Amino acid sequence: MAELSGWFPVAASHDLPLRHVFQAKLFDREMAIWRADDGNVNVWENRCLHRGVRLSIGVNEGLELKCQYHGWRYANKTAGCIYIPAHPANAPARQITNRTYPAVERFGLVWTTLEKDLSFDVVWPDGDWSVLRAIPVHAGPDAVAAALCKVLGAVPRPDIHAFAYALSTLCEAPVLALLQPQDSGKTVIRCLLSGGAQMERRLAVQANATLTRFRNIVEADASLEPVESEPVFEPVASELAEPPAASPDAMTVRVERKWQVAEGITGLTVVPTTGNLPAFQPGAHIDVTLPTGVKRQYSITDGPGTWKSWTIAVKNEPNSRGGSRFIAETLRQGDLLSVSEPRNNFPLRRDAAETLLIAGGIGVTPLLAMARALAAVRSGFRLHVFARSETHVPLADQLDGLLPAVTLHLALDPAQVAQRLAEVIGPHAPGRQIYACGPGGMTQSVLAIAEELGWPEEAVHFENFNNDHVIDTSSAFAVDLARSALSIDVPAGQSLLSVLRAHGVELPSACERGACGTCRAEVIEGTPDHQDAYLSRGERASNRHIITCVSRSRTPRLVLDL
Amino acid sequence: MRLFDYEYSAECYKVRLLLSILEIDHEIVPVDVHPGRENESAEFLALNVLGEVPVLVSDELILRGANAILVWLSRRFDPEAKWLPNEPMPAAVCQGWLTIADRLAAGVGTARMTLSRGETLPDKRATSEAHRLLRAVDEHLWFAERRGDDWLVPLPHPTLAEIACFPDIALCEEAGVSRIDYPAIRRWMDRVRRIERFTLMSGIFPASPPAPRTPVNQTQTESLS
Amino acid sequence: MNRTESEPSRHLWHPVATVAEVNGTLNTMLMGDAVTVRVAGDHSGIVVFHGDRKLPVIVRFGFIWTSLGSPPSDLFEIPEAAEADRRNVSAGPVGVATSAPRAIENFLDMAHFPFVHTDILGAEPHTEVKDYDVELKETENEILATRCRFFQPMAALSAAGGMEVDYVYRVPHPFCAVLYKSSGADARRMDVIAIFAQPTSEESIRAHLFLSMIDTTHTDSEMRRFQQLIFGQDKPILENQRPRRLPLDPRSETPIRADLSSIVYRRWLSSRNIGYGVIPAAGQSGSAVHG
Ligand code: FES
Ligand SMILES: [Fe+2]
Repeated sequence: MAELSGWFPVAASHDLPLRHVFQAKLFDREMAIWRADDGNVNVWENRCLHRGVRLSIGVNEGLELKCQYHGWRYANKTAGCIYIPAHPANAPARQITNRTYPAVERFGLVWTTLEKDLSFDVVWPDGDWSVLRAIPVHAGPDAVAAALCKVLGAVPRPDIHAFAYALSTLCEAPVLALLQPQDSGKTVIRCLLSGGAQMERRLAVQANATLTRFRNIVEADASLEPVESEPVFEPVASELAEPPAASPDAMTVRVERKWQVAEGITGLTVVPTTGNLPAFQPGAHIDVTLPTGVKRQYSITDGPGTWKSWTIAVKNEPNSRGGSRFIAETLRQGDLLSVSEPRNNFPLRRDAAETLLIAGGIGVTPLLAMARALAAVRSGFRLHVFARSETHVPLADQLDGLLPAVTLHLALDPAQVAQRLAEVIGPHAPGRQIYACGPGGMTQSVLAIAEELGWPEEAVHFENFNNDHVIDTSSAFAVDLARSALSIDVPAGQSLLSVLRAHGVELPSACERGACGTCRAEVIEGTPDHQDAYLSRGERASNRHIITCVSRSRTPRLVLDL
Repeated sequence: MRLFDYEYSAECYKVRLLLSILEIDHEIVPVDVHPGRENESAEFLALNVLGEVPVLVSDELILRGANAILVWLSRRFDPEAKWLPNEPMPAAVCQGWLTIADRLAAGVGTARMTLSRGETLPDKRATSEAHRLLRAVDEHLWFAERRGDDWLVPLPHPTLAEIACFPDIALCEEAGVSRIDYPAIRRWMDRVRRIERFTLMSGIFPASPPAPRTPVNQTQTESLS
Repeated sequence: MNRTESEPSRHLWHPVATVAEVNGTLNTMLMGDAVTVRVAGDHSGIVVFHGDRKLPVIVRFGFIWTSLGSPPSDLFEIPEAAEADRRNVSAGPVGVATSAPRAIENFLDMAHFPFVHTDILGAEPHTEVKDYDVELKETENEILATRCRFFQPMAALSAAGGMEVDYVYRVPHPFCAVLYKSSGADARRMDVIAIFAQPTSEESIRAHLFLSMIDTTHTDSEMRRFQQLIFGQDKPILENQRPRRLPLDPRSETPIRADLSSIVYRRWLSSRNIGYGVIPAAGQSGSAVHG
């Protein structure tokens, strides 16, 4: 049907209790509308991007909407997919985002528009209004509008809305009617009654009865069967049909708060300068580009469904190359920072029966986000924080919210740390998973102890901040790019990543030291010469991935899935 | 106690629901209605001359049909008389809903069974009738919500009205009857599915978990512009 | 509706009924056309009419197959069904308001087990779909998915407790799929479950379910009930998928690694120019004429 521009009501505020998903339709487009626990109203295309199942039959988990078919989870506000249960150990490509519609909640109604960048412009007459029961009528909007005027003496109010009508015949109080065109054969009449919050029940009953009679007149010859119109869908973004590409994803955030979160550790809370922050997964980090040109990665510590601000924590390294020193000394509240979209090299499996989170000092940052995500879905976890003293525990106040699942281990010497680690890690059982983050020495001991205790490699996850390898760039080899149908020579002295980029192949990267895995590519043929600190031993042995910023080839030729 | 039961039957589901909610020990005897037509067998006809499930066989008696079974189970196993109230008003209102439930079963319920066997509907009468009934139920529930009532019968707890009406309403989309125009019904369905010991059947998904008591910090929806 | 002679699926064999289901005469739909199935009392003469026209007939696995066009001389086999100790049972048909390809794709999918068949074929948190292999067997012109494994709390009636179950999937026909899964009763053998989708229209099917099981303890009725329970859980998912026809354009939906069999299936339908029950990829209209 022909679409009209402008904002239309698609639900009443009272249609959206917490933990409910409302189904709506506007101009042949079906929408799933849900209120998150923080009050935010989401108006989304009623279709899961994965296999097209209606999200209106999905589960409102409070801050995430979970699809009923394969359990994909989409974040409040941004509609970004943040978890794919079929691949619990992989982070979903961050571009998977459901189509959203603008949402405004005003005058007791939820409004949306099919247009982009249209500011909300409905001006409402003064006074108190309360929303009556919506009446769907099996007739197109023009027919309903004409009948309203003819049968009920409605007066068009184009000054309010193209489909607004003043009605004095519904009940003893004045009523404003708005039409929501569902499709060419159905229109919802949404009425508001003047008279405010304590709407008189008698008036609501009267108005409802009059409207019901009106509907029977209009529908006298209509069938109640829905018009089966072809649903209208946007195609998914072309990136999703392609390998992940680099996205020019820098954005600007403002430092809202800077404070000392522990001895030698600075906390920053950043807020977007416009719009909202994108969805992120627990374990994700952002690259922060400082005015000095230095790029550093910091983990987001917030829980699921956060879109107003992010909190990161930065350790003051005395011999820093200008990263942490700048943040500790120069950066001030109100300053702007350039940050990347969240990336996740440390994805959290949510299929564990018990998750052990082991943090050393500043390493608590990604684990805090994980703990919050697990707490939100009531999944069993324990967070162990090792620190020099109580004052060295970063974000201690925020850990309090997770008690009693948090245990602090303070002032231990290396031998005691090892012993304590062995105690908390314990024997492996199916469904137990470890996530460790902290200084290199500590993650190494976690790995070693877990192995000794019989843990399989794939149950122990850790995040590396550093690659201690000395990179050997003396080899020369050729790469074939299967999808781009390109053959390139990589000479000695140049990284694979830089040569790829020189040939126009866009690959994201972050640390460029073989630690973060952002520039990973899939290997179809050939044997990589792994020089990174990112891939696990198993991944290394399978030779199915290569970290392009540092690794090279053992075979004269590599075929990559690019 | 043995329930002669067919998985896809909404009538049987009514009984399974109450058995589960009241935690009554029972055994399921599967009757292969489709495609086996076991309900037309001589043995089954001896049990119920109508050739219909559900049939409940207990030591005390044999009961045929969902309403009879629901009434007996409530009186026998619900000493507080919550599910089938004693007071004149709620008792009568509850009976009224059992009548609506029967209308739904005969109309949209039958249409659903026809379609789910892969046959075509003789006409659209049943589905049009269903829309008329659903409109009335939605209206009732909308005004109930305004009064602060969650349930079909104005009591602070659910009754047999929920048990009897829920199955055909929750399964009506299998008969091609969309619930998009019945938001108060959709909310009521969430409440019914959160009743303690509620049980699912094929075709019905669980509701979202209820909101925690302490809400997250409230924020306001804003314009994206 | 697509009824042109050039539509390849018009020339395939399609199931229209089980032999047992037909009580003399059965009227049903095939690709938008009314057809009549007649079975003589002793099951000897089976005839299918389309108007006055007598259609070709094959009886296999206890089902009656016919075609509106010129079908190949034979239909695929499920050799296991002939083993002496197998229990061959039909459980259906079930009417579903979806296209045949959507139903087949759902049948090939393991990732939905914990969410749709909760506590039976899967349960959270065991949601992982491990990598598996899919090949297109050119000679047989069928898809084969192997090394599929999934953790299941109650894989079949004969299974006691949870276990990792092995699956093999075959797609020997655009609208039929066969799965083999480790039998709960005999670990060395595989139970067989097949779906034969009868396209009554582009967006509605009768799903014929066929079981060939190693099971000595359960009655036919119990096995049927179990299968109907499972399929009844898929039905509302299938009926809530939009669009109902399977979109073949890679940009229409978002596959992941676990969807490998669905990716291959969609490509295979495209390459065979199947236009019925699908939305062809742009620029690859095949023989489809959609009105
Ligand atoms: S269709 Fe939504 S998760 Fe697969
Ligand atoms: Fe399924």
